[in-house]
Amino acid sequence: MTSTAPTYPTVVPTQPPALLLDGITKTYRSKAGSVDALRGVTYHFAQGSFTAVMGPSGSGKSTLLQCAAGLDQPTTGTVVLGGTTLSGLNEVALTKLRRNEMGFVFQAYNLLPSLTVYDNVALPLRLTGRRPSRGDVHRVLDQVGLQDKAKRRPAELSGGQQQRVAIARALITRPSVFFADEPTGALDSGTSRQILSLLREATERAGQTVVMVTHDPVAAAYAERVLFLSDGLIAGHLDRGTPAQIAAAMSSLER
Amino acid sequence: MFYLSRQTVSRHRSLYAGSFIALAVGVFLLGLAATATAATIAYSGPVARSITVTTLGGRDLEPRQVRVPLSDADVSGLQTVLSLVGTISGFITIFVIASTFAFAVASRRREIGLLRLIGATPSQVRRMVLGEVLVVALAASLTGAVLAQLATPLLLSKASYTELAPVKLEPASPWVPLAIAVGIGLVVAMLGARSAARRAGRVGPVDALREAALEPPRIGPVRITFGVLFLAGFITLLALIRPSTGEGVTPLAMFTPMLLVIALTLLAPVVVPWVGRLWALPLIAWTRVSGRLAQSNVVAAPRRSASLAAPILAISAIAGSMVLSLSFAADSAEATIRDTLRAPIVVEGFADLGEVPGVTAVDAGIPLQLIRISSDDAELEDAEGIDPAVASRTRDLTAISGDISRLTGNTVAVSKEMAGFDSYQVGDEIPVTFTDRSATKLRVVAVVKDAQGVNPSILIPLDLVRRHAPTAQPERIFVDGVDLTTLNEHLSGTTAHAVPAAEWEAEQAEGVREGNRLGLILLLGPAALYSAIAIANTLLMGSLQRRHEFITSRLLGATPAQIRRMVLWESGLVGAVALSLGTAITLTVGILIRHAMNSGLTDVPMTVPWAVLTGIAGICLTLAVGSALAPTTYILRRSQPSAAVD
Ligand SMILES: Nc1ncnc2c1ncn2[C@@H]1O[C@H](COP(=O)(O)OP(=O)(O)OP(=O)(O)O)[C@@H](O)[C@H]1O
Ligand SMILES: [Mg+2]
Repeated sequence: MTSTAPTYPTVVPTQPPALLLDGITKTYRSKAGSVDALRGVTYHFAQGSFTAVMGPSGSGKSTLLQCAAGLDQPTTGTVVLGGTTLSGLNEVALTKLRRNEMGFVFQAYNLLPSLTVYDNVALPLRLTGRRPSRGDVHRVLDQVGLQDKAKRRPAELSGGQQQRVAIARALITRPSVFFADEPTGALDSGTSRQILSLLREATERAGQTVVMVTHDPVAAAYAERVLFLSDGLIAGHLDRGTPAQIAAAMSSLER
Repeated sequence: MFYLSRQTVSRHRSLYAGSFIALAVGVFLLGLAATATAATIAYSGPVARSITVTTLGGRDLEPRQVRVPLSDADVSGLQTVLSLVGTISGFITIFVIASTFAFAVASRRREIGLLRLIGATPSQVRRMVLGEVLVVALAASLTGAVLAQLATPLLLSKASYTELAPVKLEPASPWVPLAIAVGIGLVVAMLGARSAARRAGRVGPVDALREAALEPPRIGPVRITFGVLFLAGFITLLALIRPSTGEGVTPLAMFTPMLLVIALTLLAPVVVPWVGRLWALPLIAWTRVSGRLAQSNVVAAPRRSASLAAPILAISAIAGSMVLSLSFAADSAEATIRDTLRAPIVVEGFADLGEVPGVTAVDAGIPLQLIRISSDDAELEDAEGIDPAVASRTRDLTAISGDISRLTGNTVAVSKEMAGFDSYQVGDEIPVTFTDRSATKLRVVAVVKDAQGVNPSILIPLDLVRRHAPTAQPERIFVDGVDLTTLNEHLSGTTAHAVPAAEWEAEQAEGVREGNRLGLILLLGPAALYSAIAIANTLLMGSLQRRHEFITSRLLGATPAQIRRMVLWESGLVGAVALSLGTAITLTVGILIRHAMNSGLTDVPMTVPWAVLTGIAGICLTLAVGSALAPTTYILRRSQPSAAVD
């Protein structure tokens, strides 16, 4: 992780995995019947890795992300994040883990409309009871290229700018794992590139781990590994694929 | 989290404007009741106009000194009314605040989920919601208090020299009463918002990611438990409505529906969709699409519908029950007066009828007031001095126990109601103090039927009255054995005149109704005003929140008229559900009270104040539909379908 060139750091096997999924299944039950969204997923996300998760619609990508982040309880199986087993935690402990160790970026930008950009970014720190330092907030805003928009409200920003605010908000707590669900789903290719570079920078510069769900082969190509999900199971993976290779793998999966 | 609360409130101004107004008006009414009560407490009549007596005390009661003001300086009537006004205002305020905030939380599920996602703990979210309430409540309570202070002189000048407070009232120091009103406002707001805050704390972080604007329909076991408890309380109170309820009818008519209103509101997420489905049947048959849409909107969001229905239910049930019960009370009073009076003629005023030829009975009872002392209190009571031999011929003085003919010397006959309240039995001694300050004990010789309007609750021998109030004179005389014209000829030249008994009875009944009307206006006026604000507020809020939905529908090709129709049916449906529940409560309470009061009476007239009742329903429905349609029209006019894209 000393090199700044776009070569991927090799995973050091002695390091503990940043995120460990062990035999995760998830069954949604409702009046209409039950759906097996995940049917046994085991995977280790190495620290500092950038992994894209792809798969047909309804294959369980979002469900996987939510279970991995402790937003939802898996039906069976365990999730271990940075050495902590999530299933044993109560709501408050889980929340504290979430705000200290995890960052989220979603397709809907998920900003609080009542707060300015500055306040939105500072919010996670305030929630921990810390007083956000101006320098910290401006540093992350700088990092996402929004230093001059600090006083605006989300409604006064473009979609790409809002997404960058969301990333800045995720960055400020220096989480060890980023969860992103279609972060570029609603953005044009130029803006997408900015967002993806920011995520990749996080893995390269700070050794943070990124798990990103996407439908876009170009976006997935930013990751060092693409994980394919089909019907609630891991169907395979592709390392350092080009967009064309990834697209081909996807279409063979959808067939 | 307080910092966040402040930001949220200023952002969601439309969501909180309603709560602000509702609470400000609530505190205004409470404050006004408080400052006016302070004025009545501060009022001290001339010293000669009151008598201080010592209560008896009892097993756990210390005897205490009570200063009883004499009739012409009595402000307790006003105090009673003010405390009732305060109670109703407080009740409705809890209600409005609870439903407003439940609504605010339900419509901000995603935002709250987002907070949880980025690391807010459930208790932080709870505190944020409570903080929001505090921001709104502080501003609103202070505004209400200032308004109350400004309006106090006006209220006092209107209340002075009336039947309720026949004295001149001056404003007292406002600090304590206003502080109390503000305090109550804050506490009430916090109580009202508690369940909303708790529900907000249960929103999970995934809710930020799901498009689930619709809340889960299940309601918690705690809510159900409390709903059932209040229902049980309601049934208990209903069981209390029995013959002999008498004077207790007004509070019972007020509190009984309140309990059921609370019960139904707690259970509303279950009850409202159910009744809504029922009402939607004819609507769907008639309108097809818009009726069906309205039905599914009402049924699929039970919490929201429940919030919208709650204030309509509250005011229609409470106002309806009181109007109907008091009207029925007047009916039964009318029948009682008719049944009690036996003499065919009543002379209004006083004249000596000794030498009118043919007269067989002249029942010239003399009214007076005396202080009755019980174990914990001493009160000024109306009494009448009668000659039992004559009076039992001109009126029905049937003794339930004891013997009325033994009413001589230091004795008393009490009404069944008073005997019931204070458990007096024949042979007991009641300590009294007359207005000439002489104290004595009166032995109970009989308990007689209640006959408000003809007999006061306390009857004493005529001699006793003459001794302690030598100047007192009869105000009406019941006469038998002579015809009306002869009697009126005899009375010409005096201020008195004779009327047939039926006419006098009708006058008395009208007097009762008149008094009820004044009471209703005083009690329900502020509550009605307040509920109107609440109803408009919730619906306004509801429609403003649906801006996006309306615009999306426009984008999908719905015409503004179609959307307006849907909103019309929807709000109409919610209104109908609330009003039908309100009607059910009104009928239950009304019928039971009527049944209780009419035991032992025959041929009781039945006066249903249709105009007032349909008026209440009409206003509720108009308000409901109007305040849903107005913002919808506004939104539709202001926004083009393209706005849905951003
Ligand atoms: N809350 C829920 N209740 C019931 N079923 C659900 C729920 N959430 C997801 N599912 C079902 O679980 C399966 C997996 O859903 P998931 O959202 O994980 O898919 P996805 O891979 O993210 O799809 P997409 O690419 O369309 O976002 C789907 O069949 C979906 O219908
Ligand atoms: Mg998904």
